[in-house]
Amino acid sequence: MTQRPTRTGELLSIDGLKTHFYTQDGVVKAVDGVSFGIRNGETLGVVGESGCGKSITALSVMRLIERPGRIVAGSIRLADRDLLALSDEEMRDVRGNAISMIFQEPMTSLNPVYPCGDQIAEAISLHEGIHRREAGDRAIEMLSQVGIPDAKRRAREYPHQLSGGMRQRVMIAMALSTNPELLIADEPTTALDVTIQAQILELMKALRERNRMAIMLITHDLGVIAEMADDVVVMYSGKVVESSDVNTVFEQPHHPYTKGLLASIPRLGEKRHRLEVIQGVVPNPLNLPKGCLFKRRCPSAMPVCDTPPPLQEIQPGHLSRCWLTPAGEPPEIGADAEAETAVAAAAALTVEA
Amino acid sequence: METTNPGAQPAAAPAAGETLLRVENLVKHFEIRGGLLGISTIGAVRAVDGVSFSVRKGETLGLVGESGCGKTTLGKVILRLIPATSGKVTVKNRVLFDIPTEEERKAGRRATVLDAGEMKKARRDLQVVFQDPYASLNPRMSVGEIVGEGPLVHGLTDKGKREDLVRELLARVGLNQSHIHRYPHEFSGGQRQRIGIARALALNPDFVVCDEPVSALDVSIQSQVLNLLDDLQQELGLTYLFIAHNLAVVEHISDRVGVMYLGMMVELAEVDDIYVRPAHPYTVALLSAVPDPNPRNRRRRVILKGDIPSPANPPSGCRFHTRCWLRERLGNPEQCTTVVPEFREIQPGHAVACHFAEEVTPDTIGAAARTGGPVAS
Repeated sequence: MTQRPTRTGELLSIDGLKTHFYTQDGVVKAVDGVSFGIRNGETLGVVGESGCGKSITALSVMRLIERPGRIVAGSIRLADRDLLALSDEEMRDVRGNAISMIFQEPMTSLNPVYPCGDQIAEAISLHEGIHRREAGDRAIEMLSQVGIPDAKRRAREYPHQLSGGMRQRVMIAMALSTNPELLIADEPTTALDVTIQAQILELMKALRERNRMAIMLITHDLGVIAEMADDVVVMYSGKVVESSDVNTVFEQPHHPYTKGLLASIPRLGEKRHRLEVIQGVVPNPLNLPKGCLFKRRCPSAMPVCDTPPPLQEIQPGHLSRCWLTPAGEPPEIGADAEAETAVAAAAALTVEA
Repeated sequence: METTNPGAQPAAAPAAGETLLRVENLVKHFEIRGGLLGISTIGAVRAVDGVSFSVRKGETLGLVGESGCGKTTLGKVILRLIPATSGKVTVKNRVLFDIPTEEERKAGRRATVLDAGEMKKARRDLQVVFQDPYASLNPRMSVGEIVGEGPLVHGLTDKGKREDLVRELLARVGLNQSHIHRYPHEFSGGQRQRIGIARALALNPDFVVCDEPVSALDVSIQSQVLNLLDDLQQELGLTYLFIAHNLAVVEHISDRVGVMYLGMMVELAEVDDIYVRPAHPYTVALLSAVPDPNPRNRRRRVILKGDIPSPANPPSGCRFHTRCWLRERLGNPEQCTTVVPEFREIQPGHAVACHFAEEVTPDTIGAAARTGGPVAS
């Protein structure tokens, strides 16, 4: 049941992933049928607002979903390994070795009672089975690679002695110390000031070149996406609503949500004018609308939107979960048809058929 | 006997229109206590260190800077939510406070501070919208109580008429009037920020300090709140001091923009001027660091080295000299490390605190910019 055209050379392939949370109030479908892939050396930007499921997708890849959450369907493959079929022990080996992850707030991911250098050395010696002293030297080398001045002294310092930007560098040093094939970066610069963000993005670009690793970059900041990503996935309420290469998404967005997001951000150098807005708010995950999840906020909503739209390929490599035709017109069939005809239309238009 | 920084005044003075707020040499130091008993003063965080500017009626002055630059403290000191160390703030020709510096005090100058009764009256004109819509609303009060409390305290309404007033305010900020009896937790972040705005408007103020009003909100909600602030300014003739770290947001909403670094104002100009022709090396770097939401514009940036120094121990001379790309380019002139640059006007209405502002040209900026990664095809 692949919802997307298969591509060769994919390092990470996610297909039909569903991660649901069984809460007392009901089932929250945080990730509900997400499919995308990342090729070797590619940077994929995952963009969306709070609660769209972007972080849960990343945690699912790392298999770090805790109760009441559960991966209920789908597959996650890294090269030729099925991550969801691995034992806990094998998965531990994948984490940190093949895949590393950095988080938004480095203070909460570093242990406050150990010096930074020791924490990196621990990761290195665990994953490579080398002696602690040798690992310590490697840690210092990693710290200077990520641009920490006076790395030897800094390695002996505790996380609270470092600034936010320095802590994020330590996290990156730790994540890269085992030469991962895939780096998952969840809002890596959101907590940082803009001049420090520029430093960290620059660093990530340089390391990406050198290590030739793939990056899954999760952020709500469209500027960071435009700066870093090769391909982009836009998520809304647990589903992928649009995906393509970065230029297409920014220049020819198809889904009304993507269009709305791009129109609503103030940009540097644009004259003062009224901002476009997306009306309303993100739907309650416990009470999702029937059909298209965006229809209540959508300026192009039409009767057919009561039927869930499929993710259709509107151009080679450009997918959009919307009933509008590739040209952005309302579809001829189903526009004012009865529900039954709409379902037939759904079957006709979907690439899943 | 006013003591104003002679360089600051002309630039800070609005070109036209009535001055609503005037801030002169404002200083706020937070003492660091320490020593054996923890009661002696061992230093001070110089959060705001001699800032002067004025805001004319009906305009929006944007204030940008990174964490620790003192922009939030400045807003709070102006509102007298925290006491100033020294300096003078005048709102609508009423002096809120005029506190002498240490030396002036020794020379016999006395502080003038509005008494509590007068300050309460003044507060009607001065309102604030805070950053975090989750922390700034009392969870035990209903929306009606939150929004209606101010007018009640100031005797502008009574309990009977309060509900009508609140309903009107809710409608004005785009909230459902029937939600008046609901509690903050029943609202989304954007709606809560609207409640905070309704509360600020309840006293019919002239002047509103907006402290990062949209930074906690999602992108699609940000634009709703920015448009609302815009509309309210048009309808009610409000004056805003808009504090934010997002340069695109500040450009969008402001008429003039001030840039702060380590407690000092380093540049102040009309919005078009400062964004097109920044004259302080820090402003240049700040603007250059903003990622552009256009994948074909992966441009070269001026990347600053190092972190922001601690405001408890700011660098000597120009506070920016430790990270300054221009200083490096000019062969590290001694002046930068020894002399505090004057906040001077380089053009009418454009003030900057840099000894070498004239050297900030497209050529020097271009040379300082490093390649910002592979350029998209």
